[in-house]
Amino acid sequence: MDLDSIMDWAEKNIRAEYIEIRGEEISKLSIELKDGIFPTFTSLKLSGFGVRVLADGAWGFSSTNRVEDLKNAIENAYKMARASSLGRYEKVELADIDIVEDEVRSKMRIKPSDVDVDEKVSRMKELEKEMKKAQEVASTQIRYEDASGKKVLYTSEGTRIVWDMDYVWQYIWLTGKNERGFASARDEVGSVDKGWELFQEENVEVLSKRLLKKLRAQLNGVQPKRGEYPIVAGPIMVGIIAHEALGHLAEADLTINSPFRDLIGKQIAPEFVNMSDRVVPDGFGNNVYDDEGTRVKDVHIIKDGILTEIMLNREYAAKWGMEPNGHARAENYMVAPIIRMRNTIFERGDHTLEELFEDIKFGYYVVDFRGGQAELNSSFQVGVQEGYIIRNGEIAESIRDTSISGIAIEALKHISAVGKDFGLEMGRCGKGQTAYVSSGGPHMRFDRGIVVGGQQ
Amino acid sequence: MNLIRYGERFFDELEIAIYKKKNVGVDVELNQVALSTSSQRTVSVIRGVKDKRIGIYIVDSDDEGEIKRGIEIAAKNAKNNERDERWTGLPGEQKYANVDIELDYGVKSLEPDFFVNLANDAMKEINQRDRNAMVAGGASGAQWSENRIMNSHGVDIMQEFGGTFFYLFVVGRKGDIVTPGMVEFEVRRDSNITKDFVVNSILEKLKYAYNVKSADRMEGDILLEPLALAELLYFTLLPAVNGERKVKGTTPLEKRVGEKIFSEKITIYDDPWHPLSISPIIADDEGVAARKNMLFENGVFKGFLWNTYWGNISGEGSTGNGIRSLSTGGIGIGAHNLVVEKGRRKKEEIIGDMKDGFLISAFQGAHSSNPDTGDFSVVANPAFKIEDGEIVGSTVFMMSGNVYQLLKNVEEISSTERKMVMMGNGVYPDILFRDVKIAPVSK
Repeated sequence: MDLDSIMDWAEKNIRAEYIEIRGEEISKLSIELKDGIFPTFTSLKLSGFGVRVLADGAWGFSSTNRVEDLKNAIENAYKMARASSLGRYEKVELADIDIVEDEVRSKMRIKPSDVDVDEKVSRMKELEKEMKKAQEVASTQIRYEDASGKKVLYTSEGTRIVWDMDYVWQYIWLTGKNERGFASARDEVGSVDKGWELFQEENVEVLSKRLLKKLRAQLNGVQPKRGEYPIVAGPIMVGIIAHEALGHLAEADLTINSPFRDLIGKQIAPEFVNMSDRVVPDGFGNNVYDDEGTRVKDVHIIKDGILTEIMLNREYAAKWGMEPNGHARAENYMVAPIIRMRNTIFERGDHTLEELFEDIKFGYYVVDFRGGQAELNSSFQVGVQEGYIIRNGEIAESIRDTSISGIAIEALKHISAVGKDFGLEMGRCGKGQTAYVSSGGPHMRFDRGIVVGGQQ
Repeated sequence: MNLIRYGERFFDELEIAIYKKKNVGVDVELNQVALSTSSQRTVSVIRGVKDKRIGIYIVDSDDEGEIKRGIEIAAKNAKNNERDERWTGLPGEQKYANVDIELDYGVKSLEPDFFVNLANDAMKEINQRDRNAMVAGGASGAQWSENRIMNSHGVDIMQEFGGTFFYLFVVGRKGDIVTPGMVEFEVRRDSNITKDFVVNSILEKLKYAYNVKSADRMEGDILLEPLALAELLYFTLLPAVNGERKVKGTTPLEKRVGEKIFSEKITIYDDPWHPLSISPIIADDEGVAARKNMLFENGVFKGFLWNTYWGNISGEGSTGNGIRSLSTGGIGIGAHNLVVEKGRRKKEEIIGDMKDGFLISAFQGAHSSNPDTGDFSVVANPAFKIEDGEIVGSTVFMMSGNVYQLLKNVEEISSTERKMVMMGNGVYPDILFRDVKIAPVSK
């Protein structure tokens, strides 16, 4: 389809300040293996256009999966913008960006579409077999998905970007059973930069070992004592705290209603604490441009303990008088882009692991999570799927079915040490739309500010 | 051309499901309309079985050519799949309940201006009545869906659904205090949606939220509002009544049909035709006739929910609870409209009798609960402190426990009930529990 001529037509026929057309044509393969059976073995074709129009200082959006309806969709989006304008007291303005014409090619070494389906099936079966060797495994569920295709962005300002849209993703849920009852463990890996080669690193042995460690920690765990204790958080937990407790508050559309609004430029954590949302090697949220065509920039959310930058799209950049930094993301053509995180991490510090644990008479070491959620008042909750008691500076017995919570802006003040190591976790974030994200960091120690939930 | 007949060239059995959806609506943000949207999407799902091997194709179209192409790709997927020796077949012709389901076709023609005005009026009223309130987010709109399920055994059912919705998410700021976000919503199966319930309910709660109180104890009486209850049950109890888990032995209810599990005050069932049901279906996503299924009656566990596949394996047959994922095309098991039976006294009367306790509107992190054991460890937020029968302020605390223990410990259930559309569709009252373990989070 000739989008240039469609855009020409749109500019002549509707009186808009800005028109944006996003088109996608993506093929996916989704296979599910549940206890020896593949109940779904699915190919998907996702294709359509999302049109966003800014007219009379207000946004309208329309989508269609019928190419022949694209002009109608543009007219509809214009009509929607006119309707929106009746509900606004200030006009939407867009911060300037560099207008680019570019093609973003996949960095994948082995594209999943080049891998035979039989190989994908065999790997899943091997993985299941390996996990089921453990006698406590009662049930396994492995979901694999890959995608390949193209996305285009055409704007009335002249942006013309074509992306390769490729990813691989895998989700595992393991249920275990022993004489003490049931427990479960989850694991998620994915990449936009690595293709099938991801599974050479995340191979059957590595995945199986990691899942079983989490499962056994739950199955054999003790109920923790509820209350506030010193916490050492591993990279995955540190990442989810960065994402849930702090990252969401640094999304400009949420910042405005959160305690972060009045804290920009102020010291909110010790000076050795640094947190960013940035491009990282293998980050699941990596990209060159966002869905408005803005180049993705590193955002130093906390720099030397000071709340410094927030994540922006063009509209909020104009509102805050800042520069857009490439955080407008749309799940697919059916929805308009909103401000989202990409790879949210705490940066490395200079403590050794031993230093983080020493002097803790009683506390908890939290390693991996099962879900998390934050509130605008900076209250956060993260479920713990792998955690241990720390007794006299040593890692002791594992804990089961608990979560940690706190008020993020309080907890930050009680970070007492940041490790030298680093780890990253791949996952999905839901904010009305699903986005692939990463989060991570080094091991960190919180002396106070985090409450452990528990039935003891 | 008959697409099922075309598909039978490739498959022993075939199902084609076509989902058409049309939406119009507005999003609000920061006390004004952020975006108006209109969209339509048609998705076709082809699920075929050849030689006990399943293959699926999903495409954003209902074009005949695309579906025929999809049938051929699904056939290739089936060929790549392995035999499922337990496969017993797609459902056959059904006798559907003769239920009178009213539809308001006016929903189809609602314009965005209607929702812009609704949102504008609501935001204006909120800001007039509480100058510290900020409508942080929300949306209002109309949805219309037409779903058709056909299969090669004679199932051919078309169902229409329509409705309107309105929700707001409001934050209050006074001095250093930022309140938790107060969410309220209204959903209707017609176009008579108004702002009043949403606005009044939010302002009532916001009034208390500015006064932050510490949950200064480790145990307390808890009144769970419908949303909090729905969140908890969706993640801890609903997975346990899934028939697949019974077959696999991964539910604590595996061998407990007929046993008293909960307090006799608890009755829970799935009822698509409850008067408050927001999506009254007569067929599930496989075209199997839907019905009311009792799950817990006076605390006694009555049985599981089944789709065709797992129902046939177990010998119990489908209960009409096949739910399709549009990501995979597969059919899982789920409730259509989970109902927790209401009690006798109004919520206000129950609160009036509480000397010292907490009211929980919603939980943070219910999705991190353990569906295999029913254990949960969540944060109550927004939550409110009750003293001498009055709400005196807001608070935040952790609540940890196990759903099977919690529902044994029911003190009272309210006669007031609400329809829910978050955490699946359902109808929930408020439930009072005694001496629940908590841990304060707010200072």
